[in-house]
Amino acid sequence: MMFRNLVCPVCGASCDDIQVEMTAEGIVAKNACKMGNAKFQELASPHRIRQPLICQGGEMLPSGWEEALDRAADILASSSRPLIFIGSETSCEAMEVGLHLGEYLGGVVDSNSTVCHGPTAMGIQEAGRVGATAGQSKNRADLTVYWGSNPLESMPRHMSRYAVYPRGYWTRRGRFDRTVITVDPRRSLTAENSDLHIQLNPNTDFELLSALLALLHGQQPHPSAEEVTGVAIRQMEEMLELMKGCNYGVIYAGLGMASSYGKHRNAEMAFHLVQELNNHTKFVIGALRGHCNVAGFNQVASYLYGYPFGLDFSRGYPRYNPGEFTAVDLLRERDVDAALVVCADLVSHFPADCASYLGEIPMICIDIASCPTTMLSDVVLPGVIDAMECDGTFYRLDDVPIYFQPFTASPFPFTASNQHTLQQLMERVRGRKEAGS
Amino acid sequence: MGFMEATLSQYFLNCSSGEGCEGMREVLLNTGSTIEEGRLAKGGNKLGPEYVEECAVCEISHVDYAELGFPDRVRIWTPDRKHSVAVHARPARSLQPGQIFMPRAIWSNLVVDPDTFSTGSPLYKGSPVIIEPTQEDVLSAAEIVRRHYSRGKR
Ligand code: SF4
Repeated sequence: MMFRNLVCPVCGASCDDIQVEMTAEGIVAKNACKMGNAKFQELASPHRIRQPLICQGGEMLPSGWEEALDRAADILASSSRPLIFIGSETSCEAMEVGLHLGEYLGGVVDSNSTVCHGPTAMGIQEAGRVGATAGQSKNRADLTVYWGSNPLESMPRHMSRYAVYPRGYWTRRGRFDRTVITVDPRRSLTAENSDLHIQLNPNTDFELLSALLALLHGQQPHPSAEEVTGVAIRQMEEMLELMKGCNYGVIYAGLGMASSYGKHRNAEMAFHLVQELNNHTKFVIGALRGHCNVAGFNQVASYLYGYPFGLDFSRGYPRYNPGEFTAVDLLRERDVDAALVVCADLVSHFPADCASYLGEIPMICIDIASCPTTMLSDVVLPGVIDAMECDGTFYRLDDVPIYFQPFTASPFPFTASNQHTLQQLMERVRGRKEAGS
Repeated sequence: MGFMEATLSQYFLNCSSGEGCEGMREVLLNTGSTIEEGRLAKGGNKLGPEYVEECAVCEISHVDYAELGFPDRVRIWTPDRKHSVAVHARPARSLQPGQIFMPRAIWSNLVVDPDTFSTGSPLYKGSPVIIEPTQEDVLSAAEIVRRHYSRGKR
């Protein structure tokens, strides 16, 4: 049987043209890239976690659903400052329940969006952003700048679906109508496939952006800019001429900008540069949001509580202070006493001090396959795969909501979705808290 | 002293004199996606041997690689010597001297600087680290968890 127009739940591209055929031999996913295809195979994979697990005597043992939920609720209800961390491969609807759970418990709620483009979101708060949807850029952009991003490996269909190769209304010849610039200290695959590669020194994005802004204002950057950034002023001028001279330019900012020194100040400077470029032509900027629904967490948290990530509810109302109420900082400073991790592998992807603290505190995890985080968890609840086994909403990299419908159902009798699992957990936590009060 | 050297020397106080640091190099670590890491992670294979082959890897500029003596494996240290990890070494022409690249995974994140500069996001790109050739075995993800993170549990 063939299912069409499915949404891929893997990266921020949220491709909605996937075709899946379920045959006796297995699952065939058409249009999906390597990463997307691997996830579709998870439906029938031997790695799939198919029952709840509880840690007993140092071993992860299978348990019943009720028993696992009870243990998870006990951990959360007895914690005085729990961290609820919501990963990106789940729906906005599940994120909403997670945020309410954090508010109810007086804990802290954070997500992948913090360690991904948190600094970019902070840059937007500082400077504002000139943005566009992926469709606008596909139809109009004749200049694409990948700044600190490598979509060929992080969002494999970005170039072919939205940015470089597709034929748009005003870019009828596709790639032939577009110029591509990549700014990256490494000659990445994307850099190799670009017309111009600006190979700056690591940690000098802010300086390069400042130099470009100075040139745009008709001034010469300080001569030290060449040595600091590793980019010749002549090359900066060449890049700026391309940017000023295009009809419609777009910068896709990656973690090279958000994760290196300068952080949100890099993003802020990029937003200012783009604003000023609009005195010469039409120019927009967006984040290349690598993980599936990271944009969704920012949206949901902002409309529910006013802040895009790192929300602390310990005083009964939401507070926001990146660096204090954000997951990496809380774990590094040993400032939480339990963790609920939804669809994220924090032990693999957080620095050692944080991962090692997760090994010391009680942890509950919802996931679909075994990973270092499930190894260190006290309770593992089986995850349901969004967009394949349940419906919901993702926000695409350009903040466009994409409603998805499943083509099969949850394989578990005890839960229909991660949202459902979190709702059940919330009820149980509420029962304990009310019984105790 | 150039800007980069000045930046690096702030972090490598132990090694800035060069004493006791033979065969070591101070470099900046860039971590990031690779398509195979993505394929394996999304396919639920994070605990398998293929993931180790793809991700327990350090790409080194071919200049630095030659100066380190063409090692099969390198140990990567945080500047404060608190954390280290042994991985396979590979020369790469895509990198400038003084830079290394590792796929984002449990091996690289062991040595990523956890300071977030008040943003919540650690230094996944541009973390200062020290590399040296090693004979030590490369651990699997499960072994890393057991050895480094299981304090108090399992
Ligand atoms: S580009 Fe992203 S959303 Fe599209 S198929 Fe690949 S992993 Fe899925």
